[in-house]
Amino acid sequence: MTTSKKSAGKILVNWAAVLVLVLSVIVFTMIKGGAFFSTTNLINILRSMSTVTIFALAATVSMAPDGFDMAAGTLGTFCAYVFASFFLWFGMPLWLCIILTIIFAMVMYLLTMFLILVCKVPDMLATCALQFVHQGLGLAYTGGSAVSAGMTAASWAKIFKGDDLSPASGWTPSTQAIGKDPWIIIIMVICVAICYILLERTKYGRYLYAMGGNKTAAKLSGINVKKMRFMAGMFAALFIAIGGIVVCSRNSAAQINGSDSYLMSSLAAVFIGRSIGGREKYNAIGTAIGALLISVLENGMTMCGVVYYILPAVKGAVLCLALVAAYATSKED
Amino acid sequence: MEKITLETKNVSIEFPGVKALSDINFKISTGVIHALMGANGAGKSTLMKVLAGANPTYTGEVLYNGSPVELRHPVDAKKLGIQIVYQEVDMALAPNLTVAENVMFNDIVMNMKGKLLMNYTRIRREAREVLKQLNVDIDVRRICSSLSLAQKQMVLIARAIQNECNFLILDEPTAPLSDSETDELFRVVRHLRETHNMAIIFITHRIHEVLRICDSYTVMRGGMIVDTTPITQETTSKEIVDKMLGRSFEENFPKEICEIGEKAFVVENLTEKEGKVKNINMYVRKGEIVGLAGLVGGGKTELCKTLFGAYKTSSGKISYNGKELKIKIPADAVKNRIALVPEERRKEGVLVAETVNFNLAAASLNRFCKLSFVSEIATAKNAKHFVDELQIATPSIRQKVAFLSGGNQQKVAVGKWLAADSDVYIFDEPTKGVDVGAKQEIFRLINQIAKDGNCVIYATCENSELLSITDRMYVMFDGRITAELETKNTNETEIMRYSTGEVQEAFA
Repeated sequence: MTTSKKSAGKILVNWAAVLVLVLSVIVFTMIKGGAFFSTTNLINILRSMSTVTIFALAATVSMAPDGFDMAAGTLGTFCAYVFASFFLWFGMPLWLCIILTIIFAMVMYLLTMFLILVCKVPDMLATCALQFVHQGLGLAYTGGSAVSAGMTAASWAKIFKGDDLSPASGWTPSTQAIGKDPWIIIIMVICVAICYILLERTKYGRYLYAMGGNKTAAKLSGINVKKMRFMAGMFAALFIAIGGIVVCSRNSAAQINGSDSYLMSSLAAVFIGRSIGGREKYNAIGTAIGALLISVLENGMTMCGVVYYILPAVKGAVLCLALVAAYATSKED
Repeated sequence: MEKITLETKNVSIEFPGVKALSDINFKISTGVIHALMGANGAGKSTLMKVLAGANPTYTGEVLYNGSPVELRHPVDAKKLGIQIVYQEVDMALAPNLTVAENVMFNDIVMNMKGKLLMNYTRIRREAREVLKQLNVDIDVRRICSSLSLAQKQMVLIARAIQNECNFLILDEPTAPLSDSETDELFRVVRHLRETHNMAIIFITHRIHEVLRICDSYTVMRGGMIVDTTPITQETTSKEIVDKMLGRSFEENFPKEICEIGEKAFVVENLTEKEGKVKNINMYVRKGEIVGLAGLVGGGKTELCKTLFGAYKTSSGKISYNGKELKIKIPADAVKNRIALVPEERRKEGVLVAETVNFNLAAASLNRFCKLSFVSEIATAKNAKHFVDELQIATPSIRQKVAFLSGGNQQKVAVGKWLAADSDVYIFDEPTKGVDVGAKQEIFRLINQIAKDGNCVIYATCENSELLSITDRMYVMFDGRITAELETKNTNETEIMRYSTGEVQEAFA
């Protein structure tokens, strides 16, 4: 009987996140009715979860091989500066800006990988230190201000633009569309799909999960663990760049510290997603559900008149519960 | 000086399925250096853990000066002055603290009730006094992680005698030490016997050391005491070895005759970067099973890992079929079709959190991929094939490996390399912790691998296994190969003599 009780408890823990999601949808619908339970609001929720999800996917690929990235938010902000400046200051076409931003994120991520793989600094510490590097270098790049339409370029841009620092172009409808539905949602879905295929369908995903389960055993199975960690880092950089671009487009400007606050929300989504369905693995679908849960809670509570400045506490509480579910049941103490 | 005695009466310990100690009657009194000897798994450490209070589940009784005492917790033992220094010195030391703090560690933990501030002057002074008693010169302000292994051991001995200490147990203290460090340890041990009237119990494999320093010895075998005798001028190492071996345990595994081909896997002058293995020269022919003999700590595991690229080499050459192999990391070894079934199965051999299916494909995923996409159908087919062929007892290929028995986990660990179709198979203690039936099956499997014309290296400290399954063997001692023996021309006594370093110079 105890075993059946135990397994029932385990199932409950495994599906707790989904249960909370369904319950909160029901509760909010009961309170707000059609205002909450409508297509328009669903799109609102999906839109607001997109950015969190994309950053959370970056965290998912980092964490699958037992890595970590505390600097995803700050790098995202830096990417937004770069994206906005290429577009506004230099008037490059949109596709080129996107590609260059992704390349830029990967190049910046080489530094992260250098610290982790070559200097052997623990992931958490290396990326904590890099937060400051990203923030400082980012603002040095923009000349200390945000990058938005109509503002002049930073003084170093003279090298490329000559003495005329006035902006080369303003935001165009296509750039703006990235941050609006349906495109923002489509981008999110594509990112989830990429992450899902990488982790669940390719051999690389297996290598990464093997490393996450037991690095020594993975290494002794002939997996090149450093190469795989590097690859995971490059995928993280890809998602971070996309996340930075989306945030920039949504705000119509590359704001100072624009993406920094997404870090904690994204980590919350990843941890919530880990235990869904008893996977005990950081996975793309779980992460997306985690992000959805957070967005539903935020959306519903705002609608019910809960003041916005309390919302972080709610997010924190959900994260705590997810972590308790993940660790309280583990055998070690 | 007055003598204190410590005695066990019919002490037994049972672990599920195994009787680790049966009816041990062991007696020791202060003022002697006593050796406790026996092959691996004889029960030496288990018995000492009982005395140290670290094995609370024993049955029978322990007498201290004739009156019964309960040793159910390390604190019980410490109160009676029984101190133990475990083999793994790093487990007991706080590496980031100073020597003084480490020596006085028990004092800091136990005697600080009601006090808030540390009195470093006192701690340093007392630590210095203890080290002086040992006649050891270590600066008490040094950080422990900067000490040599021998010095760390001294710190732990100092910690042990800083408290009341009548019985000092040293678990294989000399295994990692150099000759001069061993001499220094012996000097300290003798000093403790003379000036402190202590009993020192030495667990060791090295017979010549026993003859040099100990007053008496006890030999254990299979959880029982074989003999306890004083050491005299007449005591010979042969007599001790014979007692350690006893009647030989016949595994009764018929070695199948394989056709042995030409030299394929050749290792020349291989030395590990930190000197874990030194100057290794060996070769394996096709279809041949070559044993690596030696006791725990002899360097077998280290050699296996060095061959596989898990440890870095500083010099030497590994070649297969005359072609030199560049092995820097395990991934290179796998590319060159070398397989390692490591000793720590659960930690290193299999991915316990993953399924049988996943594990059996882990070393050869490329074969099941199209454009990097894993074909679940192909891996499932592979898993089913090996589950059938190796008779892995599992409800399904989707079962997590954590839920399989030890023997079946080992089969998965072997199966993953069979799937990778390697040329050279290295087995490190593959029968550790598996039952007799599974052992037979693993032997059969290894034989089959050799029969298929592969090179097999088989490392184990179970000499009877080596005698039954290998064609030839290298004996290791202290990270070096001390002998190369033809299996049919050797016996356990000879292997034991080379593995205990007793005949060291024979093979130079």
